[in-house]
Amino acid sequence: MSSHQAVDTARRHQKPVYRSTSLPTSSPRGDRPRRRRKFGHERRRVALLLLAPSVVHLVWWIGIPVVATFVLAFTDYDILAGTVSFNGLDNFQEIFGDPTWNSSIWHTVVFTFFTVPVAMAIAVVLALLLNVKMRAAAWYRTAVFMPHVTATVAIALVWMWMFEPRLGVVNTMLSWVGIDGPAWLADPDWALFAVIVVSIWKGIGIKMLIYLAALQAMPDDVYEAARIDGASQVRQFFSITLPLLKPATFFVLVVSIIDSFQAFDQLYVLTPDGGPGNSTTVMTYEIYRTAFKEFNMGAACAQSVVLFVFLLVLMLISRRLTGKEDDVR
Amino acid sequence: MRTHTSALSRRRLLGLGAAAAAGAALSACGGPAPQQGGGGDASLRLLTPIFDRADGQKLLTSLLADFKKDHPGVSVQVDYTEYGKLNEKLATSIVGGQPYDVMLMGVGWIPPFVEKGVLADLGTSRSELESTYNPRVVEPGIYEGGTYGRPILLDTRIGIYRKDILAEAGIGAPPKDMTELMEMGKELTVREGGKLTRAGVDILSNDLRQTYLPVMWAHGGDLFADGKPVFDSDEAVEALQWMVDVIRTEKIEDYGFTQKGAVVAPLIQGRAAMMIGHNDMWRQASESAPELIEEDRIGGFMLNQRRPALFQGGTLATMSAKTKHPEQAKALVEYLSGEKVSPQAAEQRGNIPAVLSAADSEYVRGNKLISFAVDNLDHAFSEGGVPAWLEIREEFKPALESALLGKSSPADSLRGLAETAEAIIAKGA
Amino acid sequence: MSADQLSAPGTAQAPAPVARRSARPPLTRRLPRLALHLVLITVSLAMAVPFFWMIITSLKTDPDLASHPPGLLPRVWDWANYPEALEYAPFGTYFRNSLLISIGHTALNLVMASMAGYALARIPFRGSTVVFMGVLATMMIPTYTKIVPQYLIAKGVPFFGGNDYLGRGGHGWLDSWWGLIIPGALTPFAIFLFRQFYLSLPRELEEAARIDGMGEFGIYARVMTPLVKPAIATVGLLTFESSWNNFLWPLIITSDTELRVIQVGLSAFQQADQNAWAYLMAGTTLATVPMVALFLLAQRYFVQGFANSGIK
Repeated sequence: MSSHQAVDTARRHQKPVYRSTSLPTSSPRGDRPRRRRKFGHERRRVALLLLAPSVVHLVWWIGIPVVATFVLAFTDYDILAGTVSFNGLDNFQEIFGDPTWNSSIWHTVVFTFFTVPVAMAIAVVLALLLNVKMRAAAWYRTAVFMPHVTATVAIALVWMWMFEPRLGVVNTMLSWVGIDGPAWLADPDWALFAVIVVSIWKGIGIKMLIYLAALQAMPDDVYEAARIDGASQVRQFFSITLPLLKPATFFVLVVSIIDSFQAFDQLYVLTPDGGPGNSTTVMTYEIYRTAFKEFNMGAACAQSVVLFVFLLVLMLISRRLTGKEDDVR
Repeated sequence: MRTHTSALSRRRLLGLGAAAAAGAALSACGGPAPQQGGGGDASLRLLTPIFDRADGQKLLTSLLADFKKDHPGVSVQVDYTEYGKLNEKLATSIVGGQPYDVMLMGVGWIPPFVEKGVLADLGTSRSELESTYNPRVVEPGIYEGGTYGRPILLDTRIGIYRKDILAEAGIGAPPKDMTELMEMGKELTVREGGKLTRAGVDILSNDLRQTYLPVMWAHGGDLFADGKPVFDSDEAVEALQWMVDVIRTEKIEDYGFTQKGAVVAPLIQGRAAMMIGHNDMWRQASESAPELIEEDRIGGFMLNQRRPALFQGGTLATMSAKTKHPEQAKALVEYLSGEKVSPQAAEQRGNIPAVLSAADSEYVRGNKLISFAVDNLDHAFSEGGVPAWLEIREEFKPALESALLGKSSPADSLRGLAETAEAIIAKGA
Repeated sequence: MSADQLSAPGTAQAPAPVARRSARPPLTRRLPRLALHLVLITVSLAMAVPFFWMIITSLKTDPDLASHPPGLLPRVWDWANYPEALEYAPFGTYFRNSLLISIGHTALNLVMASMAGYALARIPFRGSTVVFMGVLATMMIPTYTKIVPQYLIAKGVPFFGGNDYLGRGGHGWLDSWWGLIIPGALTPFAIFLFRQFYLSLPRELEEAARIDGMGEFGIYARVMTPLVKPAIATVGLLTFESSWNNFLWPLIITSDTELRVIQVGLSAFQQADQNAWAYLMAGTTLATVPMVALFLLAQRYFVQGFANSGIK
């Protein structure tokens, strides 16, 4: 036996059994066309029934607003006077002529670029460490998940306190090692960084939870085989665990990117009104400001469409990178 | 609400059907509510951002019970919200075609809401109002000759100083103008090993725009003249230069020393000798450092250069243009802004009653910052004045910051700001 | 257990706690375990520090909060902050409303999203990818853009609240339990998560059930769904929690104080001029405790026995 065999076993599991053509009964479009047709018909009917409530709900409560957003993006929609008139691409011209909006795109990208991968990496390691039977694990998991549970406003205010330049915990600790910390949330050069730290902290819990759930669903036999082969743990992690975590990773990645692009609450509390020198103005904040501080709904919809396009492209890339193999069979 | 589907089809946009459906759904929802009530009986809906705490709710409930005694048949349904979400509540109710009959809102809201046809003219003459309120307090509710809002309570930004810290330095009286404020600030600033431990003047505890504006007014500047921005005038630039000097030239306060929403203002901790701040500082001190109040260590002073000025914001009562019971709604507006409710509402919020009759009340006289503000309301200035103000005011903070951070000169910052404002006004016209 | 062996060698074979006490393994085998605990304790503390700070703050008096330099622990432990905070708003009503809404959202979301996730993961049909992409796309428009159309839709629900068949005339689902519960009852997030979990189940199971003559719905409900209990626990927990912390929608759609929720109550502590710090922290602590308790309860389901759920 060699470790190669164990890895092979893992590969088979990685595209779980649905692609293991070695088992005749598991081939959906294969050798038993008569049965397939019979079952296929019923299955499609059941699929429709299972999907119907969700699709109706989504179309009604989110689909219509999304379509309305796309339509209104090309209108001058005066929400107070209640008038709508098409104005072509005027809104897009207007928003891209606004340096604050353009810099908010950049801030959002930077925010996401640092928040998502760091939080994901920490989350997967923590999930591995916490996927262990020990009595204290419940408390560790709770501690890691707690930032996600607590209402954002209060906990963001606590962070604001911790970042206080003179008296805050952060700068006090930095001063122990001889570093004179910046004014963090009030410093245009550091505010975004501080907000990223808080967002990573807040985002780890939910990602850890999903990874933990995914680890629980993993088959043991591959690991047994690998262990018998004497594959090193590092090798087990990279050749078995990570590939098996692909569906979960695709999920976490897409959801995290969407969350991160729509981050609002903690930024709003930590750095009100777009932060020092608008250094933490993100797209969602700009959308909020355009819609509800300036009542310019048409432009806000145009901004939302831009955000949508960003997310769509990023999702397609994520799918390429991690999700390709989980296409529906 | 109408949608121009013809323009849409010209563009041969995909999903035309869905778009039309969405438009139809939206316009269907925006339809008018059925006619109801009539005569002296009415059910009024009131939106308020100032009674949202339990004690406020209790107070308003009892006040409305009294209102009902004088107006039997008129019932009031109250929607309590907070200022932070007021715009969302206003926008959704207006777009839904069911605006509240009576809405309480802030100073800057009046011109845009009048312009969009949201608010009704209360039809009260200025002289009539001036018998109840200080003329300066009446001002924000008046737009293009009509009276659209009646003030309930006010809040101000004034100069605040620590009497004990000034006395310690041998200074007998608070600064009488901005130049002296700067000089005293320099003298009272304390640094230990380069680190600021006491700011001579704190100008960062408040919203930056609300700090800048009274400084600007004191220097003789104005926001608008004939609907055009004039906040890039020499006086306005001078005012911003004064703030830049505090931070950058004289280093009386470091950027980041404190910030809006900080747990406690430096002045209360003795980490600032003077500040441009909210009259609420008195209440904060009475809770956080009662000895400051007991020993009379906090006082107010006017910002003054070419003229004395204080910043006045507030909450006004307005009536919807779409109300079906204008008579009753107007009565409610007058009641809420009247001599009975205004003082109680203000006290509940720790703010300043708008009515003249409350000027010598125990509450006002017991709070030295509030009584200072009340005594100086003749020098009150309010922001706003143009329909695009809600949009323009959003541009102030980054412009002011860029000057304070030394990224652009005060003149350039304000010029850029004025140009942006002109563009916003032109777009709306 | 899988990752068990990865992170802490030797622990998998560790005997049951009772046995361990009687015969402790040699130090060389306990060391990695100790290191693991050290790492996890450090991380847990780092994660929980703001939370502890919140609790400590909730017990401080106002002068204490303003003291300079600030002390770590309260000089006076002001337990009265809690009853006083509860007087700021009708928290009893708010608590009940939040609880009912969260339970409603969780139950509906679990049923609808698991069905949809199953169909998207396990049943090949034309357009399945399009539907899946559509589900993802609905997550990509921010709340503040959707809220006005959603408000209008809620107001225009036909036959409710005095509306005619076109949804005109009345107030629809505004100010009603319908409006509080139904619009937020399904999250695309949950459909997506369920789909990913159903995807990783082996095909043999459903084939076997099918050969046994079980119907397709039975396969979903009785064979496959019991195997994704970690997903059920995750979705249930996250739905409950996000519903509990939701603020904007319940505020927008209601005008009646009787229908408001706990987060609206918490916002009473934040005023434009100044926050009521200690009360805000006390109120938030109280609002968080049920969530932490729920997590402690639910988290057991992430470890118990699901690895042996018949996949082998």
